[in-house]
Amino acid sequence: MRAAMLSAIFLKEWLKVRWVWLGLLVLHLGMLLYLLLAIRHQFRVEHSEMIWYWAFELRRLLYAPIQYLPLLTGVLIAIAQFGPEMLGGRFRLSLHLPLRADLLVWSWVGFGALMGALLALLDAVALYWIIAGWFPHEAAVSALLTALPWLLGGWIGYFGATLALLEPAAPRRLIYLGLSAAFLALLYQHRGYQEYDQVLPVLIALALLFIPAVILPAHRYRHQR
Amino acid sequence: MTAAIQVERLAHRYGRRPIYSDLSFSVPQGKVVALLGKNGVGKTTLIRLLMGFMRPSAGCCQVLGEPSHALSPATRARIGLLLEGHLTYDLMTIAQIERFYRPFYPRWRRELYFDLVDRLGLPHGHRIGNMSCGQRSQVVLGLIFAQDPDLMILDDYSMGLDAGYRRLFLDYLRRFLDEGGKTLFVTSHVVQDMESLVDELIFLQRGGALRQLPLVDFRRDFRCFGFQVDGGSAPQPDALIENVDLHGREPVLYSFADREPLEAHLATHWPQVRLGDEQPLSLEDAFIGLTGKY
Repeated sequence: MRAAMLSAIFLKEWLKVRWVWLGLLVLHLGMLLYLLLAIRHQFRVEHSEMIWYWAFELRRLLYAPIQYLPLLTGVLIAIAQFGPEMLGGRFRLSLHLPLRADLLVWSWVGFGALMGALLALLDAVALYWIIAGWFPHEAAVSALLTALPWLLGGWIGYFGATLALLEPAAPRRLIYLGLSAAFLALLYQHRGYQEYDQVLPVLIALALLFIPAVILPAHRYRHQR
Repeated sequence: MTAAIQVERLAHRYGRRPIYSDLSFSVPQGKVVALLGKNGVGKTTLIRLLMGFMRPSAGCCQVLGEPSHALSPATRARIGLLLEGHLTYDLMTIAQIERFYRPFYPRWRRELYFDLVDRLGLPHGHRIGNMSCGQRSQVVLGLIFAQDPDLMILDDYSMGLDAGYRRLFLDYLRRFLDEGGKTLFVTSHVVQDMESLVDELIFLQRGGALRQLPLVDFRRDFRCFGFQVDGGSAPQPDALIENVDLHGREPVLYSFADREPLEAHLATHWPQVRLGDEQPLSLEDAFIGLTGKY
């Protein structure tokens, strides 16, 4: 695939997701600002020893308000990208482009994942900066490790919604949604800090299987009977 | 002459409902061929099969020498495709959609696209989603022309177009075809448009019966006669009588046969029927005569 083709594909994807992505950017900034103000407020009204006790003895997550933000982001980006393709069967226009369908679909999800990753990076940097403002460096790193499953939730949300939207057969759509929901349920089980450290590499490896999987519904869409 | 499209013994079914069971035809290179048939006979299904969006239950479709369900990107670049309803990317503007398609087609002729869309008098920043159906049809046709395809497949180009835009669409299409070397396979419900456009007709009927013939032969040979019945029942379609229409003021029958053999046939099989005058037929009349009103 030539660079000009890739740039054309990215142009179309950007036109599809731009308003949703900018809206999500505002939402992320708003939520991070809320988190900053909430923690600052707690330190103003409570003794820092008490906050430390809550956070590290009672294992109460100070930054729980942002835990579903990556998931929401992934799902909305997928809908913005693939909803218009499915409306009126426009996916056929894309499948008629003189380009291998697998490269096309991977370019699409590559772009979507990149847009999600930019927001995830914003969350990670802001979370580290906010926590490091009141806690030691180790606590800020711990906050990032604790938030990693949530960021992975964004990936699962994105690919789960993508699979369900691209899939032409309704029963398979339900299967994709069910598998994605089960995976997500695994990622939101924790009650404290860094509880996924051991299992996260396995979960990430499993989540990477979504990349080859997105080719299947596109193939079925082209060759449906 | 080699075929741009070759369909052999094609069968397709939706669940248990058969659409075709043994469909064979070809579209010669450089010809303009119209696929005509009433709603529900499977015209759009056939286009989907030809473009590889569906896999046939049996048989084979070859498009530009490749199996339709495995068209290579290089072959797809040689096929201009118009999907039903002038489907395109509504979220793009006139300029953006040209920028989007350009890198995919090595023979891209942007001057043809802008020549067509500039006639709309709209700024290049105008969004396609805000256009009328007629305006959108010109954008889509311009994109197909700019691809400089060897084969154009147009599925119901007339859908949603008023008479003016339909004429405009056909005028530009004819001008483009005049450049030579292009093959066009088109479906439409506006049969009279085909009179000045096509070389050959393919009539597709419910159940997959198909008849392919040159337009001039169809216009010359297909006839309509009034008739009267002196008691007894009206004639029925048979080997010589293609169709009988009893819905009009005067009953008529349609046939590819001349008057004399038809009269002899009626005298043998339907002696109570007296053949009347031959009636003039427009292409639409002839189409309905062949395929029936229902």
